[in-house]
Amino acid sequence: MRRILAVAEYIFKQNFRNKILNVLIIFAILSIGFSLLISELAKEVEIRMTKDFGLFSISIFAFLTLVLSLTIQLFEETELKTISMVIVKPITRAEFIIGKFFGIILTIFMNILFMFIILMVVIKIRGGDPWDLKLFLSVAGTFLSLSILTSVALFLSVITTSIPGCIIFLFFTYILGHLTVHLKNLQYKITNQLVYKIIDILYIMVPNLELFNLKDKIHTNFSLFTFDYILLIISYSIIYILIMLILTVIIFNKKEF
Amino acid sequence: MNVIEAKNVTKIYKPLDFWKKEKIVAIRNINLEIKKGEVFGLLGLNGAGKTTLMKIFLGLLKPTSGTVRIFNDTIENRKIRERIGYMSELPYFPKYLKAYEILDYFADLFNIDPKIKKDKINEVLEIVRLSGRQNFKIKAFSKGMQGRLGLAQALLNDPEILFLDEPMSGFDPLGYKETRDIIIELNKKGKTIFFNSHILSEVEKVCDRVGVLHRKEIIDVQPIDQILKKHKNLEDYFINIINDEKVKK
Ligand SMILES: Nc1ncnc2c1ncn2[C@@H]1O[C@H](COP(=O)(O)OP(=O)(O)O)[C@@H](O)[C@H]1O
Ligand SMILES: [Mg+2]
Repeated sequence: MRRILAVAEYIFKQNFRNKILNVLIIFAILSIGFSLLISELAKEVEIRMTKDFGLFSISIFAFLTLVLSLTIQLFEETELKTISMVIVKPITRAEFIIGKFFGIILTIFMNILFMFIILMVVIKIRGGDPWDLKLFLSVAGTFLSLSILTSVALFLSVITTSIPGCIIFLFFTYILGHLTVHLKNLQYKITNQLVYKIIDILYIMVPNLELFNLKDKIHTNFSLFTFDYILLIISYSIIYILIMLILTVIIFNKKEF
Repeated sequence: MNVIEAKNVTKIYKPLDFWKKEKIVAIRNINLEIKKGEVFGLLGLNGAGKTTLMKIFLGLLKPTSGTVRIFNDTIENRKIRERIGYMSELPYFPKYLKAYEILDYFADLFNIDPKIKKDKINEVLEIVRLSGRQNFKIKAFSKGMQGRLGLAQALLNDPEILFLDEPMSGFDPLGYKETRDIIIELNKKGKTIFFNSHILSEVEKVCDRVGVLHRKEIIDVQPIDQILKKHKNLEDYFINIINDEKVKK
C-alpha cells in the first residue's frame, strides 16, 4: 500500500511541477472566464451558456491533462530510463501500475476540481445559482470517463513502444468512445455483415464514453440523473477499469527493460 | 559462498522491428560466480554485452536460456530485491523534482521505516557528497551530479550486493576518486560489489577480481593481483587478451 501511494505521489508531483500542465490550467481558466465577456443576451441565456461552455471546457481540458500526464510519464520511461531503477526495487509491477493509475487520476481530479470552482465563481458572478446538483453530477461524469480513459492510456503505454503512437491511439479511443453509441443506434440500417460485426466489436471493446456525457442533458427535464443511472455508470467504470488494469499488468509483467 | 551465479546464460534480443529477421545474440553461454564480499569488475568493449548481463542478474531482462541466482534464490522474490542496490548506466531524473524528493520516493519503494527515513536520506547524500544540494531541482544538476544521485538511491537500503553499471561515466576525475573511495568503504563493511566499467585505471585500483566479456562470451576471469604479476597494468592485460582473441579467430 505504501509503495502504491509513493508511486502515485511521485507521479502527481511530477505532473504538477511540469510547466506545460500549468499553462494548460491557465488556458482552462481563461476559457471558462471567457463567458464573462458575453453580455448582450438575456440573463437566463447567459447563465445557460456559461454552464454549457464551462462544462465543455472542463471536459476538454481534463482530457488534455491526461494526454500531457501520459506524455510526461512516457518521456520519463523511454528517455530517462529511471524506470529500470524503480523496477528492481522491492515493488511488484502490479503495484507500480496501480500507483501510476492513481497518480494520474489524482492529477486529473485536482484539475477538474480547480476548474469547477472557477466555473462556480463565474456562474455566481453572472447571477446564477452555482450550487446545482446537475452541474456537479455532470462534472463527476467527466471525471469517471477520464478515469476510464486513464486505464486505457496505461494499457496503450504497455502495448506500444512509441510516444506518438500511444497518444494517437488515445485520441482515437476518445473519439470512438463518444461515437460508438451513435453507430450502434444506426446499425439497423446497415446491410453489410462485416461492417455490422465491426460495429458490434467496437461497441463492446471501446469504452462507451457517451454514458458519462451528462453535460448535454443538464437543461432537459428528461432525467438521466436518477440514482439507478448513477449506479450504472459507476459500476460500468469500475468494471472497465479493472479489466484494463489487469490486462495492463499481465503485459507489463512480461516486459523487459 | 557465491552470492551471484550465472549458469549457461544466453540472451538473444528479438529483432528491433518485427519485419526484420536477424536476431541479435548479445551474450552467449555465460558462466560466472561472484563470492560474498568481493569487488568484481566486468570489462569489455562497447557493445560487448556487459549491460545485458547485469540486467539479466537484476531480472530486468529474461535470459533466453540458462539460469541466474542471487543469494541462491530468484530475483523475482521481493525479499531478495530488498537486499540489493542498482545504479543504471547514465541515470537521468525528472528535471522538476528535487533531489530530496527523488530519494524520498526510492526510500518509500524500499519501505524504509518512516522514522529513520530522513536520516537515511541525509546519510546517503553525505556519502555521495550532495548534502546541501538536496533541495535543488534536477534541472540544476549536471550529468555527474545526477550520476551521484543514482548512486545515492542505490545505497538507501544498505544493500548487501551493489550492481553498478558504468558508475564513473559522466564523472570528472574527482568523481572517479570519490566513487572509488565509496566502493572501497562499502567493501570494508562486507558488501559485494559487481560493476561494469571500461575505465581500467579505476578498476585496477578497486577490484579483487576482473572478468573480460568479449564478443558475447566471458574469455577470462582472474584475481587482479595475478594479472598484475604478469602485466604492468590492467590496460596492458586487457589490450593483450583482446588482441590474442583476434589472432585466434
Ligand atoms: N534492447 C535491445 N534490443 C536489441 N539489441 C540490443 C538491445 N540492447 C542491447 N542490444 C545489443 O546487444 C549488444 C550488447 O549490448 P550491451 O549489453 O548494452 O553492451 P555493453 O553494455 O557492453 O556496451 C549490443 O550489440 C547491442 O547493440
Ligand atoms: Mg553498457
